[in-house]
Amino acid sequence: MCASVKYNIRGPALIPRMKSKHRIYYITLFSIVLLGLIATGMFQFWPHSIESSSDWSVEKRSVRDVPVARLPADSPIPERGDLSCRMHTCFDVYRCGFNPKNKIKVYIYSLKKYVDDFGVPVSNTISREYNELLTAISDSDYYTDDISRACLFVPSIDVLNQNTLRIKETAQALAQLSRWDRGTNHLLFNMLPGGPPDYNTALDVPRDRALLAGGGFSTWTYRQGYDVSIPVYSPLSAEVDLPEKRPGPRRYFLLSSQMAIHPEYREDLEALQAGHGEAVLVLDKCTNLSEGVLSVRRRCHKHQVFDYPQVLQEATFCVVLRGARLGQAVLSDVLRAGCVPVVIADSYVLPFSEVLDWKRASVVVPEEKMSEAYSILQSIPQRQIEEMQRQARWFWEAYFQSIKAIALATLQIINDRIYPYAALSYEEWNDPPTVKRGSVSNPLFLPLIPPQSQGFTAIVLTYDRVESLFRVITEVSKVPSLSKLLVVWNNQNKNPPEDSLWPKIRVPLKVVRTAENKLSNRFFPYDEIETEAVLAIDDDIIMLTSDELQFGYEVWREFPDRLVGYPGRLHLWDHEMNKWKYESEWTNEVSMVLTGAAFYHKYFNYLYTYKMPGDIKNWVDAHMNCEDIAMNFLVANVTGKAVIKVTPRKKFKCPECTAIDGLSLDQTHMVERSECINKFASVFGTMPLKVVEHRADPVLYKDDFPEKLKSFPNIGSL
Amino acid sequence: MQSWRGKSLWLALSASWLLVLLRVFPLLRLAVPARPWASAPQGWPRWLDTELLPSFSQPGELPEDAPQPPQAPRGGGCDWGACFDASKCRTGGLKVFVHPVAGPISAAHRKILASIESSHYHTASPEEACLLLFLSLEVPAGECSPVPQQWNGGRNHLVLDLHPAPCPQTFQRGRAMVAKASPTVDTFRPGFDVALPLLPEAHPLRGGAPGQLRQHSPHPGVPLLALAEERGGWRTAGTDPSACPWDGRCEQNRGPEQTHPGGTLPNATFCLIPGHRPDALHFLQALQAGCIPVLLSPRWELPFSEVIDWTKAAIVADERLPFQVLAALQEMPLTRVLALRQQTQFLWDAYFSSVEKVMHTTLEIIQDRIFGASAHASLLWNSPPGALLALPTFSTSPSDFPFYHLQRGSHPVGRFSALIWVGAPGQPPLKLIQAVAGSQNCAQVSDRFFPHRAISTDAILSLDGHSSVTTSEVDFAFLVWQSFPERMVGFLTWNHFWDEAQGGWGYTAERANEFSMVLTSAAFYHRYYHTLFTHSLPKALRTLADETPTCVDILMNFLVAAVTKLPPIKVPYGKQHFEATPPLVPGGPEPQPTARDCINQMAAGFGYMPLVSSRLRLDPVLFKDPVSVLRKKYRSLEKP
Repeated sequence: MCASVKYNIRGPALIPRMKSKHRIYYITLFSIVLLGLIATGMFQFWPHSIESSSDWSVEKRSVRDVPVARLPADSPIPERGDLSCRMHTCFDVYRCGFNPKNKIKVYIYSLKKYVDDFGVPVSNTISREYNELLTAISDSDYYTDDISRACLFVPSIDVLNQNTLRIKETAQALAQLSRWDRGTNHLLFNMLPGGPPDYNTALDVPRDRALLAGGGFSTWTYRQGYDVSIPVYSPLSAEVDLPEKRPGPRRYFLLSSQMAIHPEYREDLEALQAGHGEAVLVLDKCTNLSEGVLSVRRRCHKHQVFDYPQVLQEATFCVVLRGARLGQAVLSDVLRAGCVPVVIADSYVLPFSEVLDWKRASVVVPEEKMSEAYSILQSIPQRQIEEMQRQARWFWEAYFQSIKAIALATLQIINDRIYPYAALSYEEWNDPPTVKRGSVSNPLFLPLIPPQSQGFTAIVLTYDRVESLFRVITEVSKVPSLSKLLVVWNNQNKNPPEDSLWPKIRVPLKVVRTAENKLSNRFFPYDEIETEAVLAIDDDIIMLTSDELQFGYEVWREFPDRLVGYPGRLHLWDHEMNKWKYESEWTNEVSMVLTGAAFYHKYFNYLYTYKMPGDIKNWVDAHMNCEDIAMNFLVANVTGKAVIKVTPRKKFKCPECTAIDGLSLDQTHMVERSECINKFASVFGTMPLKVVEHRADPVLYKDDFPEKLKSFPNIGSL
Repeated sequence: MQSWRGKSLWLALSASWLLVLLRVFPLLRLAVPARPWASAPQGWPRWLDTELLPSFSQPGELPEDAPQPPQAPRGGGCDWGACFDASKCRTGGLKVFVHPVAGPISAAHRKILASIESSHYHTASPEEACLLLFLSLEVPAGECSPVPQQWNGGRNHLVLDLHPAPCPQTFQRGRAMVAKASPTVDTFRPGFDVALPLLPEAHPLRGGAPGQLRQHSPHPGVPLLALAEERGGWRTAGTDPSACPWDGRCEQNRGPEQTHPGGTLPNATFCLIPGHRPDALHFLQALQAGCIPVLLSPRWELPFSEVIDWTKAAIVADERLPFQVLAALQEMPLTRVLALRQQTQFLWDAYFSSVEKVMHTTLEIIQDRIFGASAHASLLWNSPPGALLALPTFSTSPSDFPFYHLQRGSHPVGRFSALIWVGAPGQPPLKLIQAVAGSQNCAQVSDRFFPHRAISTDAILSLDGHSSVTTSEVDFAFLVWQSFPERMVGFLTWNHFWDEAQGGWGYTAERANEFSMVLTSAAFYHRYYHTLFTHSLPKALRTLADETPTCVDILMNFLVAAVTKLPPIKVPYGKQHFEATPPLVPGGPEPQPTARDCINQMAAGFGYMPLVSSRLRLDPVLFKDPVSVLRKKYRSLEKP
């Protein structure tokens, strides 16, 4: 195209020399050609460059057209697999380098057709599943097309099924890969290892240090922490539609659906059936089927014909027995049907066993104990069975259902090993979404009573009420366990009083000036906070006695993961308005404490400042209200626990009472607070606040006991 | 004219071309860099004939796998299914016989023997046992302990090997499992062998030192890193990533650091432990200190790795990537640091702090293998109070225990059973039954002794014939218990104290500002504690409790405190009952000498004093507040 443009620019010099008749003819011709070129160019570039780049970046080719690579008969063969390989010996982590996203980079070699000296192909070029697998990797975040930046290499040589390939030649093909280097950081996927007669449990292709993601490993061939055990993909996963069935008791207690079972095992199974009648069903292949019926989709018992895999949904437990190979595709079908697999294959390394907790979804029975299988299963309580059925289905959905799921789980496992500090947790791998949603993992779960000597840091948020502030400081400084006082000066227009004017107290006093008058400044994790316990206190809370504050700190020590505060509040469901309502009356229940005077763990400051969900933080700063409700929501949501209100109710000069003259103002305040609750509940997606009917008092509070012997006598005085 | 027309035509044409070109060029420039013309197409190609590709397994191929006769395990290896005969354990559970040891034994060995013999696993007859334990003795290097009689090829044997120095050839371990301190990864057989921690010589038999962590979050002044030294001590390392702290090559620019003598525990957030085996001892030290272990390519199997999820308490990193590891540690989110720190302490306290715990954990792992589907769930092993205190025989569903409601998003079953202990036959305590049955939450009242199976609710209200409680007291106490299902919630309290004069523990029933025990003559607790009381306590302690009734109360409080590490909860109790029931406290306010002994014997039996004092009582929100009684839900609690 560029050439034609140049030619046209030079045009005027040529054209005048021609006859005018020709000239017009040429001009018309040229302009038509040019316009045509421009039109095709625009058609090619304009819409595509904006909409999708994937379409034209991927070449549309046929597998038959891939380049042919000839393997000389004497080309090198890799060493056999090294059984002592571990990540820190055989894997080159330097290639993975530092990656801020903690994701490995995977390179895929381009597809070639390997032939030997006589032009006979080494294997099928590629199977549908392996193509799917490589496509999944190529579409994932792991993929890179830059071989020099890759950490893991996936050959495009398809070794999923050992039966379809010539072992020696395949090994030679591997060895001549451009970055092979003894197989370091190369990952091979194999689902059907071994071959007749003795069926090895790992791929027989010599592969030196390459990692093997294999289906059907036994503990003897599996290199713990190096190889990855993967499922044998069941093609039925894609072919058959099998909707989820709710867990619960099913028609058959135990079902065996496999067709190729060693006669010895079949005898054992039939003995089980004979012993337990209807509850056990042992199926076999159908012998008398009419032509044209797909035999893989039918199973028979005597003359009864069953549809497979639908019949699996009729059973509570399904036998997954070893065949010639340890890994069986039936495991995938069984899990999908929500049937609990009874794995009878000694030394079999279950798929993804490095991260999946198979005890939750399966029962493993030693081959020797097959005859006892029924009684072993019978001893499992129904509740646990249903839990296992749910878990089985979840495993299938997450890690078995497609080649893509298998490929990504494999890469995730390897990624977790290389970046262990960013690895997925047991819960992330194993808990089904319903459990994940309902469960709370308390960030301060360790039952620990911090030593009293540590004390607490009082944080006073103030704007300009200096007189009241000084009174609060003086009062709080009388509390024995106070270790530091932090004044957060939230007024940018006025300087805090001079040092000499501040009350003289026995603990360090520090003034922090803020950049902006924001309510969230109260909850900022200041470096000055050295103690775990923080007392948030307003600059007008002068009515709390030293005993009350000290007692509050003692209560916090017993409940360090909760908000421990003085004035309590309640949220209520307003049936008329169909929404939440804020309540500050004298009620028998509490679900919040005001942070105008409350003890809490300093970790919650970090959470409030950096991990507050949604736009709550900005919302609070914009409305200059509800920072305490937000804190209550945050703590209750992350710990799953209720607040602790301490000591009797006082006439508090609470936030909702300050600067309020008339009832009408009070009401707008309440409406605003109710709005906050509704807003936060919608951001959190749930109502995390917990309602309780108790508060904490000193052991001898109001007991008939000499006051002077009580530890905290001055409590509840008005 | 014609030339003018030609020229104008030409001009118009060239102007329009120019216009078109001007519009196309920027487009070309946009498009060209995005599409590398020369290089190969990106990504895995979308083949035109994807649909025509063959499947990796032809239909029918899988089922036609040639059936294969059962194979014996190859390579002489063993695994659980092949080498352990669990049928012997079916009848009596896991019973352990210890082969008598010939010759002198070390103190460490004596502790191991003692811890097994005092456990409920122990049996004195080898016929009854399903596991035979063989203690591999300390022998001169290069030699191996002789094989005991009844060796039977090692079948159902557990060889206990506490010395990291290995017996040269893996002696004739045959089919025996090997429980070894820090085994190398290469010889360890997962699911069959047991990896033990490398214990220091002076590890206590019971109880053991508690974890050192005093606060959840790292103290601001504490250094980030401590590095295990070869001589056994710890060195605080600078956090400057350019001074790779474990690499000798850059030793000269280490930065400011301190060396601590051996034996002291590290005081840092992370503890770097090189992967060589002698460093395994550092691992326990770090764990106890609450310093998150960062293991650099360990060549040894982490202790109890079969059940403990170490990713929750330690970081296994690659020693070849110092910059990345340091950067990752420095940038680790606070939430993760907190979780790791706390987990180290939980694991230390639950499984490692004493020889007894280590041995019981080992046996519990083997028992779990025997139990199969009804073994401890992973949650039970990896969250407080730990698998030794959460018995799977109670239930296989975590929601039945009082400890896991948060993780499971569940709640305790919403009613309670009242259990009235009537010592001698006589007048049934009708008034009491009436009061208790008056509660809406009461599901059943029972006066049978130890009615484990009859109890269908999670909560038990334990009473004795002399107790007197009102319906609203019971209602409020139950409500409080529902918030704290793992603790005891009671009305009457005792407090324990260290008696300098007597040189032992004492306790008092006098009213005080603190308490650490609640009396079971009127208390709510979870029914799980019945199971724990009966099945997990050492026999000696239970005999003691049977002989002295007061000891039952103390023992129950010890047990619950040892599990929760928290004090019980006191709720308000009407004054008039307090004085009307003198027999509640046997021996009056000053307990009898026998009862006093009992607290000291308990403390000795547990190996430490588990009781924790509390200074608070939970009252109804409006308790004795100056508001109208009509507003109060529990107004009868306030009657004088």
